[in-house]
Amino acid sequence: MNEIKQIEDHLLRLAPPEDSLVFEAKMILDNDLHHRVLLQQQTYALVQQYGRKTLKAEIEAVHQQLFNNPAQHSFVNKIRSLFKK
Amino acid sequence: MISENTKATREQLFITLYKKAFPATAKYISKMGGSFDEAKDVFQDALVIYYEKIVSEQIAAHTNEKAYLLGIAKHLWLQKYREDRPNVPFDSAGMEPVIEETTSPAAEKLMHYLETAGQKCMEILKAFYYDSLPVKQLADLFGYASTRSATVQKYKCLEKVRDTVKQKSLTYEDFLE
Repeated sequence: MNEIKQIEDHLLRLAPPEDSLVFEAKMILDNDLHHRVLLQQQTYALVQQYGRKTLKAEIEAVHQQLFNNPAQHSFVNKIRSLFKK
Repeated sequence: MISENTKATREQLFITLYKKAFPATAKYISKMGGSFDEAKDVFQDALVIYYEKIVSEQIAAHTNEKAYLLGIAKHLWLQKYREDRPNVPFDSAGMEPVIEETTSPAAEKLMHYLETAGQKCMEILKAFYYDSLPVKQLADLFGYASTRSATVQKYKCLEKVRDTVKQKSLTYEDFLE
């Protein structure tokens, strides 16, 4: 777990510069470590992608809620009327 | 930062923003010859960008949301317009981020796997890294007794997902380039 945190501090730039330098040197010497860093970077990217996907679904649910709600009739009409040719 | 960032508060936020800023965005897109669906897509992408900016504290929440959202939406529209009609020169000074969606089939397979087999961990990691929840709130939300155990769990999940990525990257070889 310690190493995971170290990699995180390095990737998210939370570590002080001198620690980063030491870490980079370690990565050059240790191929496996380098590989784990790449995998962890990929993991953050996946979490970001998952977050976006979830957020988009939440936004779409709000859209459906507004556009299918009779109480929002005038709001919906106002928007729809902009696209009537 | 949104106070108490939960699914329910986000829903409220998006309803408010929809009512505040969608009419102006729709009006703009319609004037530019776009359709309702295009206005919707552009606006939803603008909401994603806006959300990411406030949770990462790159902009303060409530700083004229309407103007901000409309600005992003216009930018996204111009970008889309230029892409769809590459022969039309269009100068929109490059300002804001784009939502990139270039995922390989392997990455999609992996995502699907994580969504089903590792959903709890993905939720914890998303809450921390994407929604930028403070550890205290993370602990409350997921039922951990202390911030310490929530932090431990977060790293465990990170490791678990990282192991999955490793394992799957051997199977789906086009994943790690």
